[in-house]
Amino acid sequence: MKGRDPREQEPGDKWEVQLRKGCLELAILAALWDGKRYGLEILRRLESDSDLIVSEGTVYPLLSRLKALGLVRSEWVASDAGHPRKYYALTPAGKRRALEMAAIWAQFSSSMSKLLAPLAKENR
Amino acid sequence: MTMTGDSQQKIDAYLGRLRGRLRGIRDDEVREIVEELRSHIMDKAAASKEAAGEANGEITAAGVDAALAALGTPEELASQYMTENLLARAEVSRSPVQILRSLFRWASLSVAGFFVLLGSILGYFLGAVFILVAVLKPFHPHTAGLWVFPNGAGDSEISFRMGFGSIPVGGRDVLGWWIVPIGWMAGGGLVMLTTHIALWFVRRYRRSLVRSWG
Repeated sequence: MKGRDPREQEPGDKWEVQLRKGCLELAILAALWDGKRYGLEILRRLESDSDLIVSEGTVYPLLSRLKALGLVRSEWVASDAGHPRKYYALTPAGKRRALEMAAIWAQFSSSMSKLLAPLAKENR
Repeated sequence: MTMTGDSQQKIDAYLGRLRGRLRGIRDDEVREIVEELRSHIMDKAAASKEAAGEANGEITAAGVDAALAALGTPEELASQYMTENLLARAEVSRSPVQILRSLFRWASLSVAGFFVLLGSILGYFLGAVFILVAVLKPFHPHTAGLWVFPNGAGDSEISFRMGFGSIPVGGRDVLGWWIVPIGWMAGGGLVMLTTHIALWFVRRYRRSLVRSWG
């Protein structure tokens, strides 16, 4: 999507982009749920465990915002690759936020699925 | 892990351009951002080497190029950082000073930001004037307040007076002591309203970014 003129996008296309971007914050918090990870690990986790095709240039600035909001903290850890890596972990506020968002998500997606059940049959 | 001088230069040039465009972000944060991305680029370039089935050795120029391309241009990346950064600070704070500081930075990025800044300055200024008059009324009971003056053309002119100087000639103190409760309420209300409206615009702006940087 990057660099494309927004006017070139189809309406459905734009909707999908918004949907994905809206989920990204929750996806990042969820990727940190079971322990600390550095940026590239988070990206790989998102790629392998979700359909979120994420631009790297979006995730790093978003991580910096989550940190400014106090939802994650970070620390530099030396690695055997020869350079230190910046690891992120959830703060207690970040955990609470992730749980809240996950609950909203579960509620929302189950009611949407009910509503969309007839369309799903059609699509099959 | 080794790297050719050429690749090192490319990375430095990219990060240098990025650093130059991260205006308004604290120096220590800029250092963190740059070091984190340097670490990312090295990991990414090394990973593409491994994926190609080669031994994890020298980072090639091609690996570095791919890693840099995936990040987008330094200009795009810098503007994402600046936006996320300043919006986060405005969102966690309700302090007019912090909001104005963030709006100043937003104004340097976009025309919309400039107008929101202008409106917010006006809102806060008017709010501050109301409160100031309410505070000064007990000290200058005869001169501070909201005054109306007739002018030559038959119209009248309304002005706030802080109560310094002599009793104004021909004017009328409209509110009298009512300026104290009204000043506090109107002033406080204006400050809160301005904060709410500014934050609303900030959030709206962040949502609109979805379209350009999906």
